[in-house]
Amino acid sequence: MKKTLLRLGVLALSFSVGFGAINAMAQSDPTGKRRITDSYAIKDAMVITAPGQEARTATILMNNGVITGIGSNVTISVGTKVIEGDSLYIYPGFIAGASDAGITKPEDPERPENFVSSNPPDEIAGITPWRSAVDQFNPSDRSVEDLRKIGFTIIQAQPDGGMLSGKSALMLLGHDQNSNLLKENTALAASFRGSRGMYPSTAAGVMAKFRDVYKNAELTESQMAQFSNNLGARRPEITDTYKGMQDVISGEVPVLFSASSELEILRVLKLQRELGFKLILTDLENYEEVIPQIKASGAGVLIKLEVPDDKASEKELDEDATEAAKEQLKRVKEAYQKYLAQASKLEAEGIPFAFSLADVKPNDAQEAIQKMMEAGLSENGAMAALTTQPAQMLGISRIAGTLAEGKMANMVIATGPIFEEDSQIKHVVVDGYVFDYDTKQKKSNGEAPAEGIAIAGVWDYETESPAGSGEGTITITRASDGYEGTITYDDPSGSGKASAPISNIELSGSTLSFSFSVDAQGMSIDIEVSGDITGNTMEGTMALGQFGSFPLSATLNPSFISRK
Amino acid sequence: MKNSRIILAIILGVISQAVLAQTPKGSVLIQNATVLTVTNGNLEDTDVLVEDGIIKRIGQDLNAPNGVEVIDATGKFLMPGIIDAHSHQGLDVVNEASAPITSEVQMKDVVNPTSIGLYRALAGGVTVSHAMHGSANVIGGQNATLKHRWGTMNPEDIIMKDAPRTIKFALGENPTRVHGRGNGIQPRTRMGVEAVIRNGFNEALQYKKEWEEFNSNSGSSTNPPKYNERLQTLADILDGKIIIHCHSYRADEIYMLINVARDFGIDKLVFQHTNEGFKVAPEIAEYTMGASVFADWWAYKFEVYYSTAYNAAILSRNGAVTSINSDSGELIRHLYHEAAKTQRYGGLTDEEALALITINPARQLGIDDKIGSIEEGKHGDLVIFNEHPLSVYAIPQMTFVDGIKYFDINEDEDDQRLSVSPTEMVEPIYLTEENHRCMQGTIRFYGESLFQHSH
Repeated sequence: MKKTLLRLGVLALSFSVGFGAINAMAQSDPTGKRRITDSYAIKDAMVITAPGQEARTATILMNNGVITGIGSNVTISVGTKVIEGDSLYIYPGFIAGASDAGITKPEDPERPENFVSSNPPDEIAGITPWRSAVDQFNPSDRSVEDLRKIGFTIIQAQPDGGMLSGKSALMLLGHDQNSNLLKENTALAASFRGSRGMYPSTAAGVMAKFRDVYKNAELTESQMAQFSNNLGARRPEITDTYKGMQDVISGEVPVLFSASSELEILRVLKLQRELGFKLILTDLENYEEVIPQIKASGAGVLIKLEVPDDKASEKELDEDATEAAKEQLKRVKEAYQKYLAQASKLEAEGIPFAFSLADVKPNDAQEAIQKMMEAGLSENGAMAALTTQPAQMLGISRIAGTLAEGKMANMVIATGPIFEEDSQIKHVVVDGYVFDYDTKQKKSNGEAPAEGIAIAGVWDYETESPAGSGEGTITITRASDGYEGTITYDDPSGSGKASAPISNIELSGSTLSFSFSVDAQGMSIDIEVSGDITGNTMEGTMALGQFGSFPLSATLNPSFISRK
Repeated sequence: MKNSRIILAIILGVISQAVLAQTPKGSVLIQNATVLTVTNGNLEDTDVLVEDGIIKRIGQDLNAPNGVEVIDATGKFLMPGIIDAHSHQGLDVVNEASAPITSEVQMKDVVNPTSIGLYRALAGGVTVSHAMHGSANVIGGQNATLKHRWGTMNPEDIIMKDAPRTIKFALGENPTRVHGRGNGIQPRTRMGVEAVIRNGFNEALQYKKEWEEFNSNSGSSTNPPKYNERLQTLADILDGKIIIHCHSYRADEIYMLINVARDFGIDKLVFQHTNEGFKVAPEIAEYTMGASVFADWWAYKFEVYYSTAYNAAILSRNGAVTSINSDSGELIRHLYHEAAKTQRYGGLTDEEALALITINPARQLGIDDKIGSIEEGKHGDLVIFNEHPLSVYAIPQMTFVDGIKYFDINEDEDDQRLSVSPTEMVEPIYLTEENHRCMQGTIRFYGESLFQHSH
């Protein structure tokens, strides 16, 4: 029933898109969004065609989403939109080995009347290998834009759900009116996530249930053979779960297994040894100690594009701290450094890896790569992990991962060498569509606030998020060493307003930024606000960590105190 | 090219060796100790030589082979490594509480060799623990017997491979509360508990028959039955391949399970907790592999009020194989004290008291041919104490597993953690959770505070 509804939804969506397109033609594109041409030339840019290649000056031509020429003496035909590329650096578009961007979790099906928690139906217990990420992917979701903005052009989208959530798919992060599907059923997403209040509820239960599902799928497979060869054989019971598992037990499709720690990785490898499926490990966070086992297994490797919070490791102790405390802090610092150095160890072992982006804050991704590089990961290694290695792992090297004639027009265009701190992404090209991004003078600490900008006072603000619009006030006052203030917001745990102190208030040029945290159902969410001030208005964003960032606009109330 | 292939082959060879590495085994000569063999009396001023993980010789004036470390234990006491027949240390998951029977669930899947509780156990002289599933279910998961080889990240390194399979059963208030009261399904009463067990075994018999019929007809058009590890495990119990370790308190339910076992021809059965075991001691002695009890812990819920500190002594003197266990990250640190309590309450001899934490739990786990006493040919699992281990002043000095020293009171670092979080200065410590883990994990199901009522 649920699935039917979903399909209906998808149908409705595609209908409206179709309708829109017809409309556009009939009324000569009232949206004004249709582009003038499918042909682009990026002229005289510094082009890095693949990891390890020298940057060389070249012009890139593309037409209908395909690279049609790269070189210094290519001919730009009439009707081609030219982007001046000098001083820009062009790289192959990034590819994420696994991501949940654009994915909305389907609603849980209703429990049947005769529901027994010790023996729930598969669909309720998180065993939904027949579901597809394609049905859950929305290209206009803000999280898609958030990833594209940092250079990602293709992701392996994984469906949301329980221990066997469903089939992943390769999606382009392209124009939101296109289907953007590159390849369906690329892996079966699995995790140790138990179901709340029913069987299997723990990692131990999930492992037992995984074996059960797998072995029964194999048995059904052999029954199918019996049934088609022998008259009188009993009809095999073809369940949705079996259908979802078929490609996995036949070895055509790997299991994309989420395992964050060394112990979880060993658990997955144990299942793999017992059952013999093809495997991609994803969401790896701590894995240094099991690199030999990972290598021996031959599994694909996706490490989480995130580094741990450095609050503890950056801590300074008082001079009168005990020896024990100093020793402990030393171990925390070592653990932090060890964590950062893991990627370089994979590289040294010759294990090709790519990145997973599920539950990752896109804004912190660049910093994560930089820290991994400071800890020993080579620049080529980092670039390969973003381009050629995921392309190889996902079987799309023919069309993606490098820049060459005939390949898909997916690229990242930056204002400088991509891993340099001051470089910013100016355009991202996906499937031949060019997405433009504002590049700003980087905020540098100590930049004098621009003339005539005043932030002290009471601001009224509004935000837009999928949960609806929100509003409140931001009060900023001058303090001895800068600013202090408070913000009010809609109370997440009920009606009315809640307020919180804001910190890190900084005015740099005409950019105001600050942060605060909100308690939502026992979870503390750090929120960062940043915006550009013109006169008495501010336009900016409110970033809620991994939940994405949302537009914010604010107006400073008139003050009766004259400005000096 | 050829060369690089060879190099590759060498590297790969090294790696696969590293992956399949054997558990480490060591050699050591401990000299001039008072050796408490447990099975062969006490030997004054005696040497014990462990070679390659096995006790090679026990005698006087032994010479250390080349390169073997010699430890002078003059004035000290050497006893077999302590064995805890009921523990939850070293497990990431304790309860898959979601069904009355979860015999397919395996604690071996969720062993965590970096859990600090294992090191603390070593510091209490415990070399082997029985890492059990919790007591939320009538038939819980299969347990893991762990050797405390501290220092590895790999669970396979600490799972005692040659120990027989064991499984957790639970009677009484826990399963009836979780499933009956909490979920409205059978069992709601002690009668229901019995019915769940009997039905499970009968279904297992049918399951076994289906597969036997299928296998004897192979080649014909018969279809294979559905695979069911849950029933297969119960069938393995009926075939004597798995030892039952049953959480129990009351004499009537203990006697009930003895009858069920006899009806189904099961003789591999050990009772855990067994607070009213003293009422049915002769029956336990005659029909089972004994009882594993607390020295003096009771009154934490209604079914545990009728208890006595004489329990272990009464069971022992009636011929039941009896052990004293911890079921706790705190008690596991001083099981020697717990054993000594049976001398105050019941007057057991030194040898009888030490047997409660060495050879007797080894028998109950089916590993008494390998560990549990100091005998030539057994594993080099040993503890050196400063005083007699039943003395109130006893403190373990060094603990060995397979001839390798994993604890040394003088040489170990203050901070022996194997894994350190990069984001937390000190991991939070939850005393209640550390101590009472039998019902751990059930809390999110049923919203009760279970830590006070945990065993």
